[in-house]
Amino acid sequence: MFNQVSEVTDALCGQQYIASDEISTTVFLAEKMGKPVLAEGPAGVGKTELAKAWAGATDRELIRLQCYEGLDESKALYEWEYSKQMLYTQLLRDKISEVMGQARTLSEAADRLANEENVFFSMRFLLPRPLLRALMSDKPTVLLIDEIDRADAEFEAFLLEILSDFQVSVPELGTMKARVQPMVVLTSNNTRELSEALKRRALYLYIDYPTPESELNIVKMRVPNVSHTVARQCVEVVQRLRQLDLKKSPSVAETVDWAKALVAINAKHLDEKTLNDTLAVILKHESDIQRARRALSGGSRTREVGLR
Amino acid sequence: MDTRVVEFVSALRSSGVRVSLAESADSLRAIEAVGVWDRQTFKNALKATLIKEPADVPTFEQLFPMFFGSEGAQMQQPQGLSKEQQQQLQDAINQLKQQLREMMRMLANGERPTKEQLEQFARQAGVMSQMRNSRTGMNQQMREWLTERMLREMGLTPEQLKEALEALLKQLKMQGMNGQGREEVQETVEQNAEGMREQVSRFVGQNMLQQPDDNPHRRRMDDLMNRPLASLTDAEMDELRNHVRRLVARLRSRAALRMRHAKEGDFDVKATIRYNQRYGGVPIELKYKRHHLKPKLTVIVDVSTSMRPVAEFMLRMVYEMQDQVSKARSFAFIDDIRDISLTFVEHRPEEAVPIVLHELPPGHYNTDLGNSLNTFCHDYLDTVDRRTTVIFVGDGRNNYNDPRPDLVTTLKSHARRVIWMNPEPPHMWGQGDSDMATYAPLCDAVHQVATLQQLADAIDDLFQRR
Repeated sequence: MFNQVSEVTDALCGQQYIASDEISTTVFLAEKMGKPVLAEGPAGVGKTELAKAWAGATDRELIRLQCYEGLDESKALYEWEYSKQMLYTQLLRDKISEVMGQARTLSEAADRLANEENVFFSMRFLLPRPLLRALMSDKPTVLLIDEIDRADAEFEAFLLEILSDFQVSVPELGTMKARVQPMVVLTSNNTRELSEALKRRALYLYIDYPTPESELNIVKMRVPNVSHTVARQCVEVVQRLRQLDLKKSPSVAETVDWAKALVAINAKHLDEKTLNDTLAVILKHESDIQRARRALSGGSRTREVGLR
Repeated sequence: MDTRVVEFVSALRSSGVRVSLAESADSLRAIEAVGVWDRQTFKNALKATLIKEPADVPTFEQLFPMFFGSEGAQMQQPQGLSKEQQQQLQDAINQLKQQLREMMRMLANGERPTKEQLEQFARQAGVMSQMRNSRTGMNQQMREWLTERMLREMGLTPEQLKEALEALLKQLKMQGMNGQGREEVQETVEQNAEGMREQVSRFVGQNMLQQPDDNPHRRRMDDLMNRPLASLTDAEMDELRNHVRRLVARLRSRAALRMRHAKEGDFDVKATIRYNQRYGGVPIELKYKRHHLKPKLTVIVDVSTSMRPVAEFMLRMVYEMQDQVSKARSFAFIDDIRDISLTFVEHRPEEAVPIVLHELPPGHYNTDLGNSLNTFCHDYLDTVDRRTTVIFVGDGRNNYNDPRPDLVTTLKSHARRVIWMNPEPPHMWGQGDSDMATYAPLCDAVHQVATLQQLADAIDDLFQRR
């Protein structure tokens, strides 16, 4: 458990995650107040990574629920294994008729059946999905609910109940309460507005693209054998590309990939040719690449003119 | 500290940030957890608990220093004055005119006006009620103006200060204070005056902000949603364009939800029995009926001058919802029809719309739907099949050309549905050169779409299960 915000920063740093003051404060508060964290921001700024680092730093197990359109309770919480139940009834048919066979009246048979009923609605046939796994876990966990904005509003409403009480009710088994309250991280790419109710229950964290300095630090940390020049040039180019109106701006993850690629081809520095050859690592649309080439070469031309 | 936070929260509210009671309670708990010794951490804690929208961050950044700023420049006492010079200074101040005396005493001795004193000044300057009743929330100009008036009342405007300072220095000189001492006094007074001005400005700002005001921004958005598109200014159009993405996201998730419920659909007895023959008739796997619900759309848009704003938003929304549509074709017409689908395939909607509008410039064309329909039925009728919904977006004003209602009937016989969206109110239909009265009965549905709200409702209706 953390006593100070700076301890959080250090612990996350130990997981190769460079956290801004804002991030550490929010994580610290989440630990203290037991509230979920809602992290929003553009794709690829390390929202998911934060959850992983958090889990690593506090030695918790990470349980991940990836959201998508049409995700429902049976995929997120639990499901009865229908076919397994069916299979068991078939295989146990003889046993059932044996138990039932001694019954003399119809009502006695029904009573006997009722006594055996819970065999088929027990944990044996319950398929726990991420949410229930996080609640039932004996060890402390970090529950990552990734890209909540992709799930439907209905699912969001359902999550509210879990996030405020950390308990769920399975009609056949009763209410299950979390043994150890999980730390919850929700991430969103902000493709749709989340409900007020959800936001109210969570601590809000907006993670933006990092500043050049911290991005440089991230690159150096993730790609230890990159030279200072290459790392700096990478970050400079990426930061400039983010200013352009691209279909998809390069993310931090892509900067790291790019630095790795440059190390792999053993580039000493970033000249025009290397840049053109490897631009596809950070830009994923042909039109973006064209546009970036124009902007970058245009930029260097004006610089040269300026020098003369 | 707690009251300060509560004041801050009410200021946030009056600037249009939605903060619930639970959230403000959270913020107090958060402060308890992190403590107040580190200003940055304290700020982040407040931010994490109170601000839940990226759009509200600037407001927070603007207000925070006003409430938790360092208390302005430190008020100082003149240093390096001997006891004797101090005495001279106090005497000199006493010699000043009545109104200058009070202020100069504070400035020279580095005293800070209390809240009560400030309120007193505000009342004297007659700005108290204006501060308290400003319905505008945080308005920078208003704030400057009110501050100015208060400073004038206090005798703190640069001109007044200069005058007063001169009088004081003259007095000091007469009493025989040396040059260095006088310089020292002047410097201190000027510095303190600066600090006090800042304090006054903050006082005004805080008072202006604590007004209860229901959310001006959101109210404005609703207002824009319900204003006729044709009457919006460029800036308002921009604002709406930004809004469209969110609106579409909402429509999309509703459509997806409907689709999902529909897909779960009915239990398919026949398929279940058939499939489970392999298990000896024991129903191990259950089968449900599936529907093909994603509509196929063919949009025919009038892009003549009168229709441009509506056409733009219509196209934008239809193409933002691509993933909920199995196929969308679009055609634009003024005097003749033109396939614009390709433009939307190649570009993002926000780029494609201006391109289309640019390629079909408004001018003295004769809007001619009859001719356009003729071309359409001739060349593109294959885009319409039993699953297609045909949407006309237009005002039905044909410049007295032949409306060709027979072609609409032909279309209708090929399509699943024909829908018309018209920005004009129903009582205008059929008046002047409008052929709407002729077309209307031929369509399955006619929507009036003068505002973005109506447009959104009409599009939502498209995705209803029929």
